[in-house]
Amino acid sequence: MVDRRLTWLAGLVFVWGAAIFYNLIKLQIVHHQDYVQKARSRQEHLIQIPAARGQILDRTGRPLAMSLDTQSVTVDPLKLPDLKLNSSLLANELDLDEAELYSRVKATFDSHHGFLWVKRDITPQEAQNLRSLNLVWIHIEPESHRHYPKGTLAAHVLGGVDFAESGNAGIEKALDAELRGERSQARLLTDAQHRGIDQQLASEGRAGSTITLTIDERLQFVAEREIAAAVEAHGAVSGSVVVMNPYDGQVLALASYPTYDPNEPPASVNDAGRENHATGVSFEPGSVFKVITLSAALETTSLGPDSMINCHGGVLTLFTRTIHDSHGGMGIVPMRDVLVHSSNIGAIEIGLRVGREKMYDYVRRFGFGQKSGIPLPGEDRGRLRRLPLWGATSLASISMGQEISVTTLQLAQAASVVANGGLLVKPRLVLKTAGQTTSPAPPVRVIQPETAIKMRQMMEGVVLEGTGKGARLVGYTAGGKTGSAQIYDYAAHRYTHTYNGSFMGFAPLTNPAVVVVVTLNGTHGQAGFGGAAAAPVFRAVATEALRILDVPKDLPDAQTATPAPIAKNEAIDDLAIADLGSKQPNILEDRDDEDRPAAVAPAAAAAKPAAPAASQAAVPNFRGMSLRAVLAEAAARGLTVQPDGSGIARVQDPPAGAVLHAGERIRVQFAR
Amino acid sequence: MATAPQFFRRTALAVGAEAPVTRQETARMERDPFLLRTLPHEDVFFYCKKIDNSRLVREADPESRGKCWSAIGAACLALALLTGVLAPGAASTLDGYRIEVLRAEANNLADERRALELQQAELLSPQRLEKLAQKQNLVTPLSSQVVHLDNQSDSTVAMVKK
Repeated sequence: MVDRRLTWLAGLVFVWGAAIFYNLIKLQIVHHQDYVQKARSRQEHLIQIPAARGQILDRTGRPLAMSLDTQSVTVDPLKLPDLKLNSSLLANELDLDEAELYSRVKATFDSHHGFLWVKRDITPQEAQNLRSLNLVWIHIEPESHRHYPKGTLAAHVLGGVDFAESGNAGIEKALDAELRGERSQARLLTDAQHRGIDQQLASEGRAGSTITLTIDERLQFVAEREIAAAVEAHGAVSGSVVVMNPYDGQVLALASYPTYDPNEPPASVNDAGRENHATGVSFEPGSVFKVITLSAALETTSLGPDSMINCHGGVLTLFTRTIHDSHGGMGIVPMRDVLVHSSNIGAIEIGLRVGREKMYDYVRRFGFGQKSGIPLPGEDRGRLRRLPLWGATSLASISMGQEISVTTLQLAQAASVVANGGLLVKPRLVLKTAGQTTSPAPPVRVIQPETAIKMRQMMEGVVLEGTGKGARLVGYTAGGKTGSAQIYDYAAHRYTHTYNGSFMGFAPLTNPAVVVVVTLNGTHGQAGFGGAAAAPVFRAVATEALRILDVPKDLPDAQTATPAPIAKNEAIDDLAIADLGSKQPNILEDRDDEDRPAAVAPAAAAAKPAAPAASQAAVPNFRGMSLRAVLAEAAARGLTVQPDGSGIARVQDPPAGAVLHAGERIRVQFAR
Repeated sequence: MATAPQFFRRTALAVGAEAPVTRQETARMERDPFLLRTLPHEDVFFYCKKIDNSRLVREADPESRGKCWSAIGAACLALALLTGVLAPGAASTLDGYRIEVLRAEANNLADERRALELQQAELLSPQRLEKLAQKQNLVTPLSSQVVHLDNQSDSTVAMVKK
């Protein structure tokens, strides 16, 4: 009897235990995930941790672009319990106009759209108030908002972002992958009152990388200020400035005008202000390109700075086409004078000696007709026709800077070749990415150092006594070249009376610290030529750059007074105007000679070599003189002296009595 | 002495506090269907014996004291272990609350700092500084007014030049 009862009891206990075991298996194994999900939905919240977009800094660490985390309120109008009541509630909490919000909600509801931004960039207090309401139909979305604290400064370099904070121009677009972070997700364990207890990272994100540019904020500001003033003053359409370190290619400033504020959305799809004229718009360079022609000649021919070039009195007939020098022409002059006074005929003569193949080769070597590789979207490679497509007069045209289009940045790259001793360095705009310094591309030798030095000396002559007097600096030597190319009207198939006035130069001469290239597009009249419009911008920008970069002066202040304005009698002849009416595109018409050269030979005496006169002076004997006396003597004679040391002048080069060519300086060693 | 019926009846009376029922009344009430019928072995008599055990003295057990303290110790140990097991969880929960509050505060402070950095950058923009300088009649120094320090390699920059 007892055994039977015990057996029943054991059976009951077994069944009870089996039932419990079955339910445990069901709960913890079979439906484990379901219950985990249910528990998590009650106890855990998946929170998005936004990854702020990386900052963009200038070379000194000043922020140019940065992002702030914000929160925005959204609702699904299709799920609102009461449109009127809910709109009123939101309007009160967010300090919005109730009627206006209701109309927006109603319109969205009527159009069967399930999403509406109620208010963006709400304050933390507003977010807290909304959360305390604990209403399921109110969604608070974490967002990030891009700010450009310097406004229009470096707008074309920085670019901008769209509503989703994706880069749509400039560095923002080119380096979008580095700047954009990946948001993290975390599971937040909460209690019954939705207070956070613990966080566990669900998916690890990545913070946006900070990009440090090579741009210097102060220089950029000066460049933008000066180019804006020049464009306005000369009635130009646009302008651009590039300031570059010639040795490592770091772009210190890249300004384009007109400009825009990247904080504001584009005014229209074709917003002209957003076009980067420094890298994205190519133009015929005009006479600044003669630097390339002469460099190629020094490298590939027996010509030197003192080699005599026949400028044919300013008129040259080439393949049934007559080419004029706009300033009336020169006779036979040294090659340096061809550059100093920007003779088109002289440049053509030199170009013809170089030859088509070598000219094409050197133009390519200087980086023209190809992208520089700067990380800015929409860079224009310029236009350099392949050699088989060159016409009969293409060599002549290219020799003087026509039939080719370049960008301001390409000109800066080419000027750096001359400034740094013959090496082509790629322009760099990014100094560091996420704290890691980016390595520059290895430089490529383009011309020999001797050639570069000769070119520098000739380019100094342009500034001292040629077309670029407006670029003369106080306290520093400088070299450069002006350019004034007529703008071609593609609709009318002829050149117009508007110009691309440009100047490319560097300073100081012996050890250039900066290369500055200035271009103004669409200038008018003589005042719009490169020497009158662009050279003063060079002077202002280069002066500030040398001061900011703390470059020691290489000239006494007393010796280089403030440059005088260009005299009226230095204005050029406008002889080429007659050719403008031709229906044939006269690509060889170029003018940038703001002043008539002192050593111009009459056209009739074209066959005769020009006599060295004012451009060549005898070197005085400075030995035994004090520094002050030497400088006074040199200033009186209009000579440039490079003093070294202190005390009494002991040695000078060139020696006393030697003929000093234009652009040359006298080095005087002082000792006690 | 009393029989079992009497014993139970007495007990019932004590509960009901009614008057005792005589045997004759019982005989008359035999037809009452609710009356307790005669039990078997009714001749068994019960009697109450008073026992005085006040003189009994518990025998001294020297081990019981130790057992008691052992039990107390075990209970305390169990409590301590239980506390040791549960306390970290409770503490971590409380710390979790604090950490989340601090985390939220840190995020707010970081946001505030970025906002201040933005404000600082706006205030130090070159455009604004130039406007302020113009109001103060400050101008950029001329090149002739700039004096560059010699780049001495012997760390004598701060020395007065002879």
